[in-house]
Amino acid sequence: MQPLRTDFKGYEGQYVAIDARTGKIVIADKDPHVVLRKAKGRNHVFVHGRVPYADEPLYHFGLG
Amino acid sequence: MAAFRTRMSRSITSALADARPLPWLYSYREDAQSTRLGEQVLRPFVQVSLVHEDQSTSQLTGLIDTGADAILASNLLTVELGIDLNDNEGEHRHAVGGRVLMARYKTIALRLHPSDSAEDVYCEWQAPVGFVEGWHSDGLVLLGSVGFLDQFTVTASRFAQAVAVEERHAFDDRFGTVLSA
Repeated sequence: MQPLRTDFKGYEGQYVAIDARTGKIVIADKDPHVVLRKAKGRNHVFVHGRVPYADEPLYHFGLG
Repeated sequence: MAAFRTRMSRSITSALADARPLPWLYSYREDAQSTRLGEQVLRPFVQVSLVHEDQSTSQLTGLIDTGADAILASNLLTVELGIDLNDNEGEHRHAVGGRVLMARYKTIALRLHPSDSAEDVYCEWQAPVGFVEGWHSDGLVLLGSVGFLDQFTVTASRFAQAVAVEERHAFDDRFGTVLSA
């Protein structure tokens, strides 16, 4: 399968929601509650989270 | 050495999922973190929403993490869900992403949605979720062993760049029962 690609450039520091069919950002705001509220009930849209700045560290996950 | 595992009773309900039966396939998705060694970072994400009583969140990015023992999420989501974390089921410190975070647990419902994020198609189950203050990405839910990988059989392939989520008995169907019940 081809990965879902999203162009996050220009959205650094903002929370974003993405259209699952296209990968395009459809909602963006610095307030996460605004994005969560606008995305709620929208078909084919999910909240991705906050877009980090380029110099922020790359997170690795897993519980220690 | 005695080997055992606990098998829980079937607890997943679904809405319109019968029309789109598991397995559900998800392509790997590009992470907002830009690059590692010049390459795009692709992760095994799925879409989930959280439900508490008559409140629910929007669909959220859920990261499948086989190294995690629990489900963790931002405590900001408790605002959307009307949850008072002072009324929690326990607290535990976790090391996540190089930081030590305190999670306060509450059992709620989770919904897994298909890859196209169809709002009215989902599988729903109950699980304890650890709500964390200062979570690094507030739309993200970490899907670990207890509460997710005990509900589904998940096959992730970076080679195929895809994740398959199946009924949880699919592993035994494919490989036989590894441990005696």
